[in-house]
Amino acid sequence: MASTLRLYLTCIRNTLEAAMCLQNFPCQEVERHNKPEVELKTSPELLLNPVLICRNEAEKCLIETSINSLRISLKVKQADELENILTKKFLRFLSMRAEAFQVLRRKPVQGYDISFLITNYHCEDMQKHKLIDFIVQFMEDIDKEISELKMSVNTRGRLVATEFLKQFI
Amino acid sequence: METNNEKGRKLKRESYRKKGSQKEPTNVEWKRVSDYICGFASKLTKHDCNTELTFYSKLITSKNCCGSQILYHFNTSQEKRREEKRREESYMRMACIDRTSPALKQILLKLYCAEKPLEIDHHLYEFGSVEYHIQSQASNPQLAYLSISMPPLCHGVLPNELSSKTIEMVKGICPNVVEIIEPAKEGYQLTLKLNLNQIPRNKDYDKIIREISSVHSVILSSQLKEILWNVNSDDALQGMYKPIKLVYHPREPFFLIRQPQRIIAVFPIRFKEKSDVTIATTFFQELVDVGSSDKWAKAPHCNWSAIPPPELRGEAFEDLSTNGGFFTFDISSRHVEGNRLDKTVWSLLNFSAYVRYHVKSTKGFIQRRMRKRLESLVEVLHQTNSEENEQTKQHQVHRYTKKLVRSTKYVILKQRWRTFGRKIKRIGFRLKIHGFTRFRQRWLRFPKFSTGYTKID
Repeated sequence: MASTLRLYLTCIRNTLEAAMCLQNFPCQEVERHNKPEVELKTSPELLLNPVLICRNEAEKCLIETSINSLRISLKVKQADELENILTKKFLRFLSMRAEAFQVLRRKPVQGYDISFLITNYHCEDMQKHKLIDFIVQFMEDIDKEISELKMSVNTRGRLVATEFLKQFI
Repeated sequence: METNNEKGRKLKRESYRKKGSQKEPTNVEWKRVSDYICGFASKLTKHDCNTELTFYSKLITSKNCCGSQILYHFNTSQEKRREEKRREESYMRMACIDRTSPALKQILLKLYCAEKPLEIDHHLYEFGSVEYHIQSQASNPQLAYLSISMPPLCHGVLPNELSSKTIEMVKGICPNVVEIIEPAKEGYQLTLKLNLNQIPRNKDYDKIIREISSVHSVILSSQLKEILWNVNSDDALQGMYKPIKLVYHPREPFFLIRQPQRIIAVFPIRFKEKSDVTIATTFFQELVDVGSSDKWAKAPHCNWSAIPPPELRGEAFEDLSTNGGFFTFDISSRHVEGNRLDKTVWSLLNFSAYVRYHVKSTKGFIQRRMRKRLESLVEVLHQTNSEENEQTKQHQVHRYTKKLVRSTKYVILKQRWRTFGRKIKRIGFRLKIHGFTRFRQRWLRFPKFSTGYTKID
């Protein structure tokens, strides 16, 4: 792993460890309701300052915390047109199957490619450090998968091009 | 080198040894057994299920081991081989798009192989503009009539009727079987009479039917050759090289420009989706890279540009507006010599279809890969969940036992306290009157006063 990526991921991990201290908190507006405050943003006293971690202009991570929920939004690097298409396709594919992940948001926050919403119930069901591991692992895997996909598409194109040109010889 | 028989004997010895020791074979041994099976099975006739099954059963009994494991190893290796073969076939299919019309071939085969005389009257459409009409009567099953109608490859340059050269080319397809009927059926450009009884009954029948089914490609190739060699000759003498617009697939025209030393083929690329454009552009870049390498110096020079090439100056705006740019082939005299001409013509005609097929299969590949990746990503999360559940369960069991212990102690103490209390009560009353306790409980009780308060409005 590149040293810059390691630093970026470590920073995100540390921030998540600090931010993920969630507790059950009923909604102040509606009785007998329990809603993620980070999504509603109705009571400013329940929200913490959002943290933005940037590796560069194209890669960044926004961590928004509230008393009972946490929202992590990621922007994945897209160096060229093909990477852009592959990233969009892949992340859309994952978002469409968000129920499989439990913590994945169906629609990313504006300006980001993918978002996660972790509530206090998720923290109770799954272990906190395992959730953090999952997020960090997910970020690593996405980067790796997109570069592998790009390589495969290029290799495939080269093979097909070779087969086509064989006909003229 | 160890032969298969020797390997078999060796494995048999090992199995006997294991029979005695009753030890389970290791994974390496399983792998060897499965390799041996695969080596043997590859020599069997393809799709010979019975032979394969007999072989499985024999081997499983001889090895006296878990059949499912052997079958698992065997199936996985077979699947891998099948996958490789499928991939190779797909590349080959991409390399040369089939000249035969699959639907026409199927109908002709059905007609030829039918035991009873068949009455057939089918209309087939290909690419939305090519029409086939096949007729065969039950009274005369040895004869079939095939009529073809297709739009001209190049409007304005070629007449709507087929030229004498094209008809000669068609006559060249199995002269014993195919006969051209003149005039052609109304609404069609060509009608062929097929003498099915002239098709030999040996293995060659498939080849002949395939040739008849490729009549469309023969006509197209002949037309394109005609265009390449005859059209524009007057303009070329004057030094003007006008592009010829050819329409093979509807909505996908391409241009040919004949110059003294070369022929330039320009393909405007259009796609509906942006992702298709990106994949196609990547393919074009690879094609240009491969074509410009020394190894492929004999292949036509390729070029891709986002703007139209200068040769197309003056063409209609709708033909020059694209989202995928323009791909150009420089075809030299070497590529149109002898038998190569046919290949070159067919490759040019199907270039657009080829690119589309590549885009489609690449999208399928990406989808398959994403699906696999999703499974592995979800697996990580589920592992976390299952570990968590196990831990919680263990923890719950622990807590439950503790609670059980606590509750037992509590109950015992409570019981002891009750008996002690009863004894004290008995000691307090010196006179024991039968039924007095019940009377005391009912009538000699202190009244209860409520301690709560009521809110004053």
